[in-house]
Amino acid sequence: MSEQESDADARIGSRLQETDGHEELRDGHRNGDGEHGERARATGETLVEIDDLTKIYDPDGAHVTAVENLDLDIGDNEFVTVLGPSGCGKSTLMECIAGYLEPTDGEVLVNGDPVTGPDPSRGVVFQSNRLFPWKTIGQNARFGPQMRNAVDDDRIRELLDETGLSGFEDSYPHELSGGMQQRAELVRLLANDPDIMLMDEPFSGLDAMTKELMQEMLLDIWEEEDRTVLFITHDVAEAIFLADRVVVMTARPGQIKDVIDVDIDRPRDSSVLTSEAFNEYQERASELIHDEAERAMEQKQQETQEG
Amino acid sequence: MSTRERVLGVDRRRLLGREVPLPPRGVRRATSVVGFFVFWWAAVEYSFLDFGLFVGPIETLLAIYGYLLGDPVAGGDQSLYVHAVYSTYRVVAGVSIAALLAIPLGLLIGTSTRAGAGIEWNNYLSPAVESLRPIPPVAWVPASILLFPVVPVVGFPVNTAVLFVVFIGAFFPILVNTIEGVRDLDDEFRRAAQSLGAGDRQIFRHVIFPAALPSILTGVSLGIGLGWITVVAAEIVAGNYGLGYITFQAYRLLQTDIIAVGMVVIGALGYASSAVVQRIADRATPWSDIETT
Amino acid sequence: METAKWAKRSASILGLLAIWLAVGVFGPQTLPGPIAVADAFAGYVQNPVYWNAIVLSTLRVLGAFTIAVLIGVPLGLLIGWNVVVGDFTYPALELVRPIPPIAWIPFTILVLPSIAFSLGFVGFEINTGILFITFLGAFFPILLNSIAGVRGIDDEYSRAAHSLGAADWQTFRHVIYPGALPSVHTGMVVGMGLAWVNLVAAEMISGGGLGFMTWSAYTGGSYPVIFVGMITIGVLGYLSSTIVRYVGASQLPWMEDATA
Repeated sequence: MSEQESDADARIGSRLQETDGHEELRDGHRNGDGEHGERARATGETLVEIDDLTKIYDPDGAHVTAVENLDLDIGDNEFVTVLGPSGCGKSTLMECIAGYLEPTDGEVLVNGDPVTGPDPSRGVVFQSNRLFPWKTIGQNARFGPQMRNAVDDDRIRELLDETGLSGFEDSYPHELSGGMQQRAELVRLLANDPDIMLMDEPFSGLDAMTKELMQEMLLDIWEEEDRTVLFITHDVAEAIFLADRVVVMTARPGQIKDVIDVDIDRPRDSSVLTSEAFNEYQERASELIHDEAERAMEQKQQETQEG
Repeated sequence: MSTRERVLGVDRRRLLGREVPLPPRGVRRATSVVGFFVFWWAAVEYSFLDFGLFVGPIETLLAIYGYLLGDPVAGGDQSLYVHAVYSTYRVVAGVSIAALLAIPLGLLIGTSTRAGAGIEWNNYLSPAVESLRPIPPVAWVPASILLFPVVPVVGFPVNTAVLFVVFIGAFFPILVNTIEGVRDLDDEFRRAAQSLGAGDRQIFRHVIFPAALPSILTGVSLGIGLGWITVVAAEIVAGNYGLGYITFQAYRLLQTDIIAVGMVVIGALGYASSAVVQRIADRATPWSDIETT
Repeated sequence: METAKWAKRSASILGLLAIWLAVGVFGPQTLPGPIAVADAFAGYVQNPVYWNAIVLSTLRVLGAFTIAVLIGVPLGLLIGWNVVVGDFTYPALELVRPIPPIAWIPFTILVLPSIAFSLGFVGFEINTGILFITFLGAFFPILLNSIAGVRGIDDEYSRAAHSLGAADWQTFRHVIYPGALPSVHTGMVVGMGLAWVNLVAAEMISGGGLGFMTWSAYTGGSYPVIFVGMITIGVLGYLSSTIVRYVGASQLPWMEDATA
């Protein structure tokens, strides 16, 4: 095991031990905010346990190690972002948790059970919008519960309302703007009531301003709904703004380079982006990721030349 | 796509929710082909419907071997090769003439559809062309026999009626695809070229034509396909030579082996000509990832 | 602007007729001009032979097309969805596909029987050979487009459905089937066109319907009727394609370009 990894492990370990302390600290921060004060915070219980995960792709003999010996625990109700250069295996990591890919080695446990396939308790939001284009917004929102014959119309109306989509139930996805589509996909996910939301660069296709609004909205929803989120991104500011913890990944083969605990008050809004603390975190993360991005680019170039 | 079969929940190796032990891919595909021949053999052997009148796969294979050695077919004194050459030449000639006319016409109609183009050729030409398009090429057979004679060219009788029907069959797919190829081009490419200093002629040469080329070649590929359909129909009705002619002649003479051989050869040549067009298309547009099937 | 456009478009059609007229007058003696054809048309409209031919051809296309859809669409969706089903069926179909349906005509006359039955007062005779040729014409475009339709659906839609709790058959019902429909529809439009092409050929050779009417007009020397037949076939072909297009578009309200 490399030094780097054991370092990462140590951080995760210490983080787990310190959870209680964090909780106190957070509660402290929240004193002035009565409504949200009651919110059950990271409980210290582990929801997702990734153990020595390795994923190797072997298409036509090409041997690509996307993720190698990765260990990561995600706590209940925690918001974790995974930050890494493109092609570093962060999507692979997500796909293993979602149950789309079988790990080559190691395992992923959710609530103590190994992942054997996709499950409604692990909701996924994709990079390109994957609302079903042949279903209306309303039909998309109902999709998950409908599969189990358990549609709760009030809940769906409430969610559409919260996200400013009421009145668009009968529209088809292509009639909506990118931001609205992304909100609708979020509604579809929440209507299904997953334990963990796996989000793979969901806002990367949006313009900067819409993106900022979507981030705020996601945080609002998260505050209110007590959910665990694993959010993948290559945007440093986004990673820090959203997360309790930022997991920085290396270029391929994907390993954890470092874990940054983001200790900024919640609830957060865009004013956080200009704070001193935020800048410090951002500098640190940018430094960590810069070399990895360079390496990833070299890899890509080499592959293009070879292929 | 390489991960597709390894996806857990969407695992395509599972049938009805159960893990089924399966033979490897090659074996499965071979089973399919063998199954086809066994079905053919059994249908003839046990006279399913009137299959008893037809030949089985083994006789067909032997017959193909014989005719490939040059035996004369279908009561005439020509070999299979002569008829195959006739049909092929008709398809190639008919499709070539169609391409020579349809591509320029399509480019003209397509470019004039754009805003700011000079004369609106599309309005003058499209309605006339569109009103002829729904008539299936085969329906032109009687009219073209009536109008187009057999003309001797350097000692060979050229059946212009059959050529015309093949031409009609290939003309419309090529035309329609050419028009669409031009029309679907994003106008910003043209603007980009303009801003870089290209004149109208240069824009056509460097932007419009190459952009429309994949679609044009798709049209030619479809045209070849329809060329084979129409040549067989025209030869059955109007030819003295060609693969369509011999298959129908063989039916009249009840030489069922030639019917089967004719079908096999027509299929093989049709397949080969599509493959050739495909190869040419891939070479001509290495930058295109559109499959020209 | 609009008037100018329509003037140009009418000029186009009139130009076509003028060329026909000119060729009829100055060209070969055998070619009937538009007036002779219009005259023959007027006579034929009152002739039950004409209407019988129309009904027979239309029913054949309708029947063959329906069978092609009923077999081609489910088979294509299944082949596209399940690699194993594809491996066991597709290679055999691929052996048959390159043979133009028309080349099957001698075979079908030989092997496929005519089925005669009566419904009390009227008797029917179904020429299964012609039906089969027409079916083949429509079948392969529908099959291939159904397969391509399924393969063209991004895998992430199936993944999304599974993650939302859909079982395999629910994914098929809610993702694969609706996702493949636009391509299936394209296949139907192409298939309808090819059904008419092959029907006409089959009828010319083995009898009945508009194809035979057109062909016997040639052999019988009543040349204007050839053009009556061609025009009728063209109009019916156009109508049936338009209906398929229209019905298809109305079933696909979610397409960005629903008129296509």
